[in-house]
Amino acid sequence: MGELWRRISYLFNRRRLDAELESDMEFHREMAASAGRNNFGNTLRIREQSQEAWGWTWLDRLLQDLHYGARILVRSPGFTTLAVLVLGIGIGVNVAAFSFFNMVALKPLPVRNAASIVRLERRSLDSYSSEMAYPSFAFYRDHARTLSAAMAVLGVPPMQIDDDLQPFTASFVTPNFFTELGTRAAYGRLFTSSLDGSPSSPPSVVLSYELWQHRFSGDPSIIGSTIRISKRPATVIGILPYDFASLGGHGPEIWFPMAQQPYFIQGSKVLTDWKDSSSRMWGRLAPGVTAKMAEQELRTLTHELRKQHPEAVWDENEYLQVSFGGHLQIMQPKMYEVAAMVAVLTLLILAVSCANLGGLMLARAVAREREIGIRIAIGAGRARILRQLFTESLMLASLGSAAGLGMGYAVMRVLLSFPNTPRWLSAIPDWRVMLFTILITVLAAAFFGLAPALQIARQRQHKTIVRQILVGAQVAASCVLLIVAALLVRATQHVIYNDPGFGYEQLISVDPQLGRHGYSPEAARAYLQQMQTRLRAVPGITSVSMVKLPPLGHTVSNSNVQINGRDVTLYPNWVEPGFFATMGIPLKTGRTFIPGEKHVVIVSESFARQQWPHENPLGKQIGEGDVKDTVIGVGGDAHINALNDDDAAEQYWPAQPDDLPGMVVIARASGEPGSLSPAVKSISESLDPKALPEIRQIKQLYRENVSRLEMIATAVSAIGIVAVVMAGIGLIGLVAFTVSQRTKEIAIRIALGARPVAVLSAVLRQYSWPVIIGLLLGTTAAAFGSRLLRVGLYGVSNLDPIGYAAALIILAAIVTIAALLPARRALRLDIARTLHYD
Amino acid sequence: MSFRPKEGMPPGALPMLILRVLQSGTLHGYAIAQRIHVLSSEVLAVEEGLLYPTLQKMLLKGWVTADWGTSETNRKVRFYKLTPQGRAQLKAELAGYDRITQAIQDILRTA
Repeated sequence: MGELWRRISYLFNRRRLDAELESDMEFHREMAASAGRNNFGNTLRIREQSQEAWGWTWLDRLLQDLHYGARILVRSPGFTTLAVLVLGIGIGVNVAAFSFFNMVALKPLPVRNAASIVRLERRSLDSYSSEMAYPSFAFYRDHARTLSAAMAVLGVPPMQIDDDLQPFTASFVTPNFFTELGTRAAYGRLFTSSLDGSPSSPPSVVLSYELWQHRFSGDPSIIGSTIRISKRPATVIGILPYDFASLGGHGPEIWFPMAQQPYFIQGSKVLTDWKDSSSRMWGRLAPGVTAKMAEQELRTLTHELRKQHPEAVWDENEYLQVSFGGHLQIMQPKMYEVAAMVAVLTLLILAVSCANLGGLMLARAVAREREIGIRIAIGAGRARILRQLFTESLMLASLGSAAGLGMGYAVMRVLLSFPNTPRWLSAIPDWRVMLFTILITVLAAAFFGLAPALQIARQRQHKTIVRQILVGAQVAASCVLLIVAALLVRATQHVIYNDPGFGYEQLISVDPQLGRHGYSPEAARAYLQQMQTRLRAVPGITSVSMVKLPPLGHTVSNSNVQINGRDVTLYPNWVEPGFFATMGIPLKTGRTFIPGEKHVVIVSESFARQQWPHENPLGKQIGEGDVKDTVIGVGGDAHINALNDDDAAEQYWPAQPDDLPGMVVIARASGEPGSLSPAVKSISESLDPKALPEIRQIKQLYRENVSRLEMIATAVSAIGIVAVVMAGIGLIGLVAFTVSQRTKEIAIRIALGARPVAVLSAVLRQYSWPVIIGLLLGTTAAAFGSRLLRVGLYGVSNLDPIGYAAALIILAAIVTIAALLPARRALRLDIARTLHYD
Repeated sequence: MSFRPKEGMPPGALPMLILRVLQSGTLHGYAIAQRIHVLSSEVLAVEEGLLYPTLQKMLLKGWVTADWGTSETNRKVRFYKLTPQGRAQLKAELAGYDRITQAIQDILRTA
């Protein structure tokens, strides 16, 4: 410790100490001279050796290198700017992607002890649900010892405040929700188990900060006053803080205590119904308990639950999956796949920019040949030269990463400006992003700087092989990027210009959620029949029907099966006979259901084709067990709940009376469906004022779906184009360099009568092979890698020939132009002057 | 470090010798060299190129400290002074040196 201290204090006092040492030695020399000895050694050298004892030589060298590097970079501002730009793009894309991943999956929520919060979801071999019945939740909560607390969130359809037209999002939570998160109210108080845990407590609500600001103009006196929510009076007890961090990114505008659910949603049996899976469960691991241990205990509890309430559990394989919940997003394995894919793409961009810069550095190395030669001649070792060059690369990389950090910050700012972004999120990079940036900077410097530095230090900058590898790598990487971009563009086009198989333009869905209001099948039948009859009477509505799982709905049900060796995702649905007409799904063959019919099924065209190729599907039977269902019709392919899944196949069963409380009404309008909302509202109001249906325009949902895809396709295309342009610029530089290197040879060739084509091929030959190999490698990599993309391709094959052709043609064109542009100079040489020169 | 028979300074002995000559009082660099030269009956000569780096190492180790003083020629110069750590180090080095010389002599006597 003392030694380290002395070392550091030397560093701060070195100027003085060095002067003292010099004076000591000066004195020594004087004394020795007066004693007749004049053989004092080289003072400078002795001083250097003395300084070395303190172990700071590396710092001196580093400072020297930095100083020298800075001078070199400042002396060629053009190169430096280009390099920083190229690197800034390469690093920036990676930093932006990582910042997003960090925000979603790494950054702990700003809540009390975020690390111990877990999400609990029902899983079985082929079933999955993020929600469970409230009584199941209570059962787990009361029996689990590995959880120190359990919270439930019950999402409900948007609700009305007083007489507003615009409904607000709402959720019920267990009263410990806010106390577990350690949230403090901005005004008033939040729920507590003692005050809000019982159904007999006075009805109370907590409002989000935004709702309070916009609907109640931020008036603190709202606390304690009574408002009506979906016609039920309730007291506003508190306002959530501005930067409230909720679990799972779930942030409704109105919050209720769970115990008062039956009060606000009248007739609802959600709190006692073992079959109504609608509550999301969160837990806090007890101290010292791991997720695995909790999963073990909960598995035995599920077995116990199955004995007591068989209806609450799917099968003997069901268990609760315990996943870490203290992040913005609960990461599913699928999401990690997507993240990995994005990481590969962004690293490819980095590879292109590094290879590009590597080429530039090599070309510059030839220009610096003289300088390096002199340094070696006056005694610089190879290691020293290498270190110097690498320091320069690191400096460039640091400048580039500063630009990259800026770009990442800008991207995050844009992302966070989207509506409904939680306010606690910040675009400012945290230590994880910083660490990542440092890592990627060193990686980039190693990648673009090391190979050229090695070549230069060994005085081999004229070797072409490294340049060829760099060109090949750039072409390959930008090839992959362009192909992926082309596939995504094709997918977007496919979605936009292809018929999704059903007429979404003029559809609305009306979901009264009768089951949630405690309707019996009989009551539901009466309600729905009235609703349909009155809707049909509304001018502008041409067709009305019902379906259990409406198009682009909140709930999706599917199962994965293999048909004749092909993976197929089956989407079952339960519909009324008029469903196909209302949806605009053509019946290819057969007929639709007859009301009251049982044990029949209508399948989609692609299902029929795969299951019974070259056979008539009508009359075939499907299903397991004794009672089979007979196929009576084949409908057109309409992936109403899987727009992006080309492997989807549909099966429709006639809805049975038991399904009625869960049915959704769909209606087709002849004009603009948006104008129907008031009519639908007034109908539902008169039928049952308690049930406020959720009215959705399918066109809007569809457009949202497509625009998300369009945005991704645009972003990837932009990145792909940037990569290709970078590769093009790199190639221009390299070819121009080759031409300038071989001016004399070319002049001699022309003088001897070589044709232009021969001259060009002489210049370009060394790059044609790397380009071709790069194209082949890139295409192969894209062909294999894009299999991961399949789900996002909305029905376009990942080997789509048009996409590949488009990408390759664009790339080939850019590469050719990039090569020919500088190569033409070779033809316009002033032969006489060139040959007279030196 | 090359071993130079001319000066006859065994490698590694210099720190011990410096510590030893400082035991009797503070000295400046030149005086240390002189003292060693004289005390060794002019057999051992301390090279400046070795003396100053060694002194720096000893400063780093904390065996000696350097303070301003005035030389016999009335010039401002640094005097090196033994620290308690330096004394302990000298003791340890002397003990080690004794053991080694004893061992070497044993061999020379019996072999």
